[in-house]
Amino acid sequence: MKGRIFDKARLSEFIDDLIKKRKIYAPINKDGLTCFSEIKSSSEIYFDFQSKLSSKEILFPRCETLFTYKRVDGDVKLEEIKVKDEESVLFGVPPCEARGFILIDKAFSSGEFQDVYYLRRRENTIIIGKSCQYPRNTCFCTSVGGSPFGREGVDLLLHDLGEKYLLELVSKKGEKLIDYIQKYENATETDIKMVQRIEKVAKESMKTRLELKNIEEKLDNMFEDPLWKIIYQKCVGCGVCTYLCPTCYCFDVVNEQITPSEGKRIRIWDSCQFPLFTLQGSGENPRPTGKERMRQRMMHKFNYYPKNYDDIACVGCGRCIRECPVNLDIREVLKKIMAQ
Amino acid sequence: MLNPYIPNLTVIKKITQENDLNDIKTFKLAFNNPSKFRDFKYRCGQFAELSLFGVGECPIGIASSPSDNFLEFTVKKVGMVTTALHNCEEGEIIGVRGPYGNGWPSERLESHDIFILGGGFAFTTLRSLIKYILHEENRAKFSKLCVIYGARDPGELLYKYDLRTWATRDDIQVIPTIDRASNGWVGRVGFPNQIIKEVASDTENSLAIICGPPIMIRFTIPILVKLGFPPKNILTSLEMRMKCGIGTCGRCNIGNKFVCKDGPVFSYKELQNMPKEH
Repeated sequence: MKGRIFDKARLSEFIDDLIKKRKIYAPINKDGLTCFSEIKSSSEIYFDFQSKLSSKEILFPRCETLFTYKRVDGDVKLEEIKVKDEESVLFGVPPCEARGFILIDKAFSSGEFQDVYYLRRRENTIIIGKSCQYPRNTCFCTSVGGSPFGREGVDLLLHDLGEKYLLELVSKKGEKLIDYIQKYENATETDIKMVQRIEKVAKESMKTRLELKNIEEKLDNMFEDPLWKIIYQKCVGCGVCTYLCPTCYCFDVVNEQITPSEGKRIRIWDSCQFPLFTLQGSGENPRPTGKERMRQRMMHKFNYYPKNYDDIACVGCGRCIRECPVNLDIREVLKKIMAQ
Repeated sequence: MLNPYIPNLTVIKKITQENDLNDIKTFKLAFNNPSKFRDFKYRCGQFAELSLFGVGECPIGIASSPSDNFLEFTVKKVGMVTTALHNCEEGEIIGVRGPYGNGWPSERLESHDIFILGGGFAFTTLRSLIKYILHEENRAKFSKLCVIYGARDPGELLYKYDLRTWATRDDIQVIPTIDRASNGWVGRVGFPNQIIKEVASDTENSLAIICGPPIMIRFTIPILVKLGFPPKNILTSLEMRMKCGIGTCGRCNIGNKFVCKDGPVFSYKELQNMPKEH
């Protein structure tokens, strides 16, 4: 482990130095809503146990314009909205969400076509994670291959050592920020030992431990299982689980007309929990009830995605559990699946 | 990096009314930038996203043949985008991006006798394939071609101009049929899945391609199996709501396969191994 150590008070200096040169996104508290947003000063940063909205929307915005169109004398002019080539830093990302980006990367970059909007933003952004010292009781990252101190997807990782911060250098991309951290002292053996100790405690404090080995194979035979008919009953289909999920990436492409002659094509987040998601022009709907839609969500995360990309599409952040209006707990669903 | 979401601009060159109900029209498009059309290399059975600025996009199978030097789509008036398209006049500009999907497997087609069963409006990419096979540069590569095409009544048959031309050729057997007897109709009456029983031959070494309403596919596949077509030789093209067309937006999947990217053409054998969600 390589890293630098500094007094907590100096974090603001580090951030404000970065702001002078780059766009910085960090967790903030906007009238009680904790989320990630661009900041202009380090004083805006707000560390919660976990922000209500994940950092996903910084790289994959809820709504973004793909291009604009304008009709001129019977002709149409299109203007592609390019993601600006500016170096950014996404600061304070918990390791579970950082892993989420790796999962979205696979969906947006594999195959014949590349999602240029997401990928350009991803390439231009350095991710500074913040290790998760106090996992919440809804967290279960260790059950799905993650860790509260996971390094996957982060370029640098900030550890809270009480009086001081240790900023760990993780990836080659993270070295781009070396100029900003050189003035701080190198972390000593004792500091590193302390991180390891905290990491051990954090991992041990994780209350949920699910045994999900072979879940993909298990689900192979469960498409017609009566389970789906039971578990969807109390779901109201609000879709909040998918909107808050750091790994859900489904979207809709729609038009917005501004004047009769001009407008834009935008993409917005969408959710597999909505009936319109799959309703066809003919009136057919392959997923007509909550049963099929809930099955789709579970299957996508634990069977379809793993088949296509060799990883479970859930990072165990627990947002879907905390924010579900009817207390539908994905952990309980997983346990039922594993018990089959 | 190429941006897959930006459509090519095309001008509507010609609009053809296809049926008596006048809710199906064929749109012939010409690219504003001809070099972009040269890049738009498509196979029979692929589709594209048509783009109506200010309204939206919809995925439509390509109805012209790669052997044509133009691009055609046959569109039924169903929702917002297709209605807007039906309201367009010749000379208007719309967007096209694609081509997408796998298309009909041309190499496998070349080595088998081909029986095509079409029903109603779902004949568009079949017409692309038939035109392609019948093209003078291609016909010799293929063997026997038999087409059974059913519609509710004579006025609902698409591409009547093509059907007339094909009927004059001896290298294709075309059997148009309608569901119920109708005044002035001298052709066959009945469903394609019954007529195939009379004309199918050497089914073990033939390919059956079937496109139509879901109910037709459901009833026809067992008949084809019974006639001896191997499941891997029974091909169909699926429909699903789509947005991106490139396997990203997440809605057209059946199991872990995306209809837009891994399909829309699937064999019955493949469908047997996929969840029943289509």
